Amino acid sequence: MMFALAVNGLYKAYAANAVLAGVDLTLAAGEVLCVLGPNGAGKTTLISALLGLVNADSGEIWFFGEQQQGATRSLALRLQLGVMMQIGSLSANLSVYEQCDLFSSYYAQGYSAAELVQLAGLAEHAKQRFGRLSGGEKQRLLFALALAGKPRLIFLDEPTLGMDVEARQALWQQVKQLRQQGVAVVLTTHYLEEAEQLADRIAVLHQGRIVAKGSPDELKALMQYKVVRCRSCLTDAELTALPAVLHLSREQQLITLQTRHAEQTVRALLHADQQATDLEVRPVALEQAFLHLTQNPNTQQEQAA
Amino acid sequence: MNTAVIYRKEAWYDLLSILRTPGFVIPSLAFPVVFYVFFGVMFNSGGASAYMLVTYGCFGIMGPAMFNFAMNIASDRAHGWLTLKRLSPMPVLAYLLAKFTTALVFSLVIVALLFTIAAVFAEVRLDLWQWVLLAVVLLLGTLPFALVGLILGLTLSDKAAPAVVNLVYLPMALLSGLWLPIHMLPSLLQQASWIWPSYHLSQVGLKVIGMDQGHALSIHLLLLTLSSILLAMVAVWSFKRLTGENA
Repeated sequence: MMFALAVNGLYKAYAANAVLAGVDLTLAAGEVLCVLGPNGAGKTTLISALLGLVNADSGEIWFFGEQQQGATRSLALRLQLGVMMQIGSLSANLSVYEQCDLFSSYYAQGYSAAELVQLAGLAEHAKQRFGRLSGGEKQRLLFALALAGKPRLIFLDEPTLGMDVEARQALWQQVKQLRQQGVAVVLTTHYLEEAEQLADRIAVLHQGRIVAKGSPDELKALMQYKVVRCRSCLTDAELTALPAVLHLSREQQLITLQTRHAEQTVRALLHADQQATDLEVRPVALEQAFLHLTQNPNTQQEQAA
Repeated sequence: MNTAVIYRKEAWYDLLSILRTPGFVIPSLAFPVVFYVFFGVMFNSGGASAYMLVTYGCFGIMGPAMFNFAMNIASDRAHGWLTLKRLSPMPVLAYLLAKFTTALVFSLVIVALLFTIAAVFAEVRLDLWQWVLLAVVLLLGTLPFALVGLILGLTLSDKAAPAVVNLVYLPMALLSGLWLPIHMLPSLLQQASWIWPSYHLSQVGLKVIGMDQGHALSIHLLLLTLSSILLAMVAVWSFKRLTGENA
């Protein structure tokens, strides 16, 4: 199978500090891969190495079945890529339409300037200069420019940073449409809700290594516990003594229990406190799985393998 | 992809973007004009107007070339604009030529302004071929200073670039005899002036009006060419270093 992107043993160090310590990834057409990781995990270096902005020390990078050499990316490849970088700004003195006109000229088979303005949802601001747009509007324009050449593979680095809820959901919808059209998407984000909404697969990067990868459900399943929430008059000691309870936390009156066996815990809880209210059992949220994976990378790496 | 359209649009939008920056346009045009009016017109004595037309012409074209490249490229790097362009199918040469075209347009306007002031208010009288040749020399002379600006833009942060350009631009102009005639400088500085491309450019320009120091034209042209080649090589090295190819 020819992948849109395949990475084998990618390694990059600055001085003696390995920022990427042997990263392996694959991405198929029509798939959204989300790279998650705490600050300093190596996400930006990974994206930069893939795009040829920095030269990896070793490892292989393949785009559409072609191995890339060094930091050079061919014109033929760049015509097939769309990129929205985290630190992305345009000339502050050019208008929305002018930026779209400039970018559309780079591609023979891409969108016209007018179509890009529509894609960005900025038709009413077409004559407004980039420097006078709001943060969310700038992000929308940068996203539209990443689509200028109708790419087969698109890199989105923190694409919804600064967007309001409406704009964020509109962008999510556009990403879903891209996936349906067979476009491969590499997404990095700090919003776990975004990852859960969009990603077919998530790769968790920690200290330059992929410590876990799989679908959002598979990552959550790595956590061998569920969450029980309730209001109860029991003391902390009584609650932690309930069967299978791993961890307890309180937020005002609301109690959150992490449990290895939710049914046993709930039965015992109701037996001890028949007045317990607002009882609910939830699967582990992606956020908890992510925190656990990045705080205990070694144990999870074994599980993921 | 129509390459000619990319080059044309890059050049047009780079110029448009700069023209919409009064903080760049006004000082770039006003600086050499004010200097020339003050020293070349108001204190005109003994044919100094023609001499200063050449030296302030050199001074005038150096500024926009160095500042446009250094400050804008450093800013484009800092804000990710250059990165975005490098990742697109746009040829890097289109980006650089656009900046050079903008510098040339500014040079052309400055030369036209200075020539008009010289002819109308300072009574500078040259043959037609001298006006034309002097304009060509000044416009072509934009290149080495654009390369200096390019190197600074590729190596400095956007905050450091303006200060460093001033640190290079103003002493280079003074030590090349662009503000004061070169023979008024101490002899050590006169000898050191040979290291500056601006000195050789001014001597080529002065040769057009017969007021140079009398060295062979070929030496000045050779040194200008060699310095341009050297600066271009440093610029290419700086660009490769930026992309990590030498890492």
